[in-house]
Amino acid sequence: MKVMMNTGRTVDQGANVENKRSVAYRDETSTCFMHFFDMMELGIDEGENVLVASPYGRVVLTAAADDLIKPGTIFVPYGPYANHIIGGETHSTGMPDFKSTEVTVDATDEPRRTIYELMEELGGLPYDH
Amino acid sequence: MIIKDTVCPFCGCLCDDIEVTVEDGKIVATDNACTLGTSKFLGDHRMKSPIRRVGKEWKEISYDEAIDYTVDMLLDADRPLLYGWSGTHGEAQCVGVHMAELLKGVIDNTSSVCHGPSILAIQEVGHPGCTLGQVKNRADIIIYWGCNPIDAHPRHLSRYTRYANGFFLENSFRDRKVIVVDVRKSQTTNLADEFVQIKPGCDYAVLSALRAIVRGKGDDLPRTVGGVQREQLFRIVDLCKKAKFGAVYFGLGLTMTAGKYKNIRNAIELVDELNRHTKFTISAMRGHYNVYGSNEVNTWMTGYPFGIDFSRGIAFYNPGETTAVDILARKECDACLIVASDPAAHFPRPCIEHLAEIPVVQIDPYANATTAFCDVQIPVGITGIDAAGTAYRMDGVPIRTKKVLETAYPSDEEILGSVYARIQEVRQP
Repeated sequence: MKVMMNTGRTVDQGANVENKRSVAYRDETSTCFMHFFDMMELGIDEGENVLVASPYGRVVLTAAADDLIKPGTIFVPYGPYANHIIGGETHSTGMPDFKSTEVTVDATDEPRRTIYELMEELGGLPYDH
Repeated sequence: MIIKDTVCPFCGCLCDDIEVTVEDGKIVATDNACTLGTSKFLGDHRMKSPIRRVGKEWKEISYDEAIDYTVDMLLDADRPLLYGWSGTHGEAQCVGVHMAELLKGVIDNTSSVCHGPSILAIQEVGHPGCTLGQVKNRADIIIYWGCNPIDAHPRHLSRYTRYANGFFLENSFRDRKVIVVDVRKSQTTNLADEFVQIKPGCDYAVLSALRAIVRGKGDDLPRTVGGVQREQLFRIVDLCKKAKFGAVYFGLGLTMTAGKYKNIRNAIELVDELNRHTKFTISAMRGHYNVYGSNEVNTWMTGYPFGIDFSRGIAFYNPGETTAVDILARKECDACLIVASDPAAHFPRPCIEHLAEIPVVQIDPYANATTAFCDVQIPVGITGIDAAGTAYRMDGVPIRTKKVLETAYPSDEEILGSVYARIQEVRQP
């Protein structure tokens, strides 16, 4: 399913932004808020995983029904999961398309990864001390 | 011990009425702070000492060793990028600008990925803004456009708008109208007297339609603009023109979507049109607590607010070319010093892929996503908690933040000062 991805601040994302290794931060930033109708079309229930892909990458998120979200759009809190599939083009402004990236969403059995697993994929070394 | 009138170091509201309870060298409680502020004051899991990546392992090192590595990395680089700065105080930002100039590097702050486009628009058409106190005491109409203060600036409504009684507004909730414009419903839209839901990417068109109505050209509009009924647009303009004092606050819903700085320019020009009928102001909802200060410090020192390139020996500014996302995505910089921010969590993927290929030093109290790409990380005190300094509120008012906790951590300014002094020894003997 093709949708427009919006990203933004949520209280739970902001409250845990200084503790990015916390489960609370990981859970919040890897949530794909979407309208119940879109979840029905994908045949998924609350808490099941979705594969979200763009021309820049793919990432597994956990779906959450939210009737504040318009059908045809998804909302993902700011963070490493959303940015895993956002491109670096800024249209000569310095600002990427954080709130207007076209993505596809599909049901998946793949597990959601941790933030450090995402960082490892991009060449980083986890720090778990 | 209770410390009153502490300044919150989370968002651009810089709430200065926080009461912090300190016991046994730890903050154990806060009063008046929102969820975001409380979590920052009560935060733990600080990094204990500087670390260095050695192969596939992390090794603890001394502050002297960490400073040595940072100095060598910066002196060896042909095009160093010095990025972040919004979570630290003005004094440290000053050192950063001096250092960037001496290194002939690029210095950019997080505004390039938040309100940088707003500044571009302000450079084109000016900024009819005012302080938060003016809004609290005078504004009888508030428009929140593309922002969600309930989640991002939780006390903005209670201190300055929806719930704040003011000198000329004895009953704010009754006397102040609040309009929220957004592409999605949110907790903030639930509190609005009028919610305008627009189609994603249509902010520019809706702003233009409102300008047309203010100018008396509304009859030419189609039945809907950007998903908004014409009647609703007329109603909003009517409310605005009848107001004694209006204030527009806009967020990243305008800066991060298609049109970017042109959206803001159109919003400022709408405010300009409204000022022919009544008094209206517009201001950005600045996010990171001292991001505004970073723009101020850069502008005093270089003439430019962010994305400043010293490679020519003079300050050069061209957003889209000299901004951090572009420089990283083009794989242009060959070393990166990151101060008080976390680009690995907040930058697009191609930027992070380049961070993995170059030497990186981060100065930050906590391990974060960027830690995974560091060669060295240097933990420091948190400005506003265990380091004092100057920060700018979202309306441009400088406020001195307090030190409420004694710790052994050096401040950003101390670490950067040591690095800068060593660079001076080599470049300015």
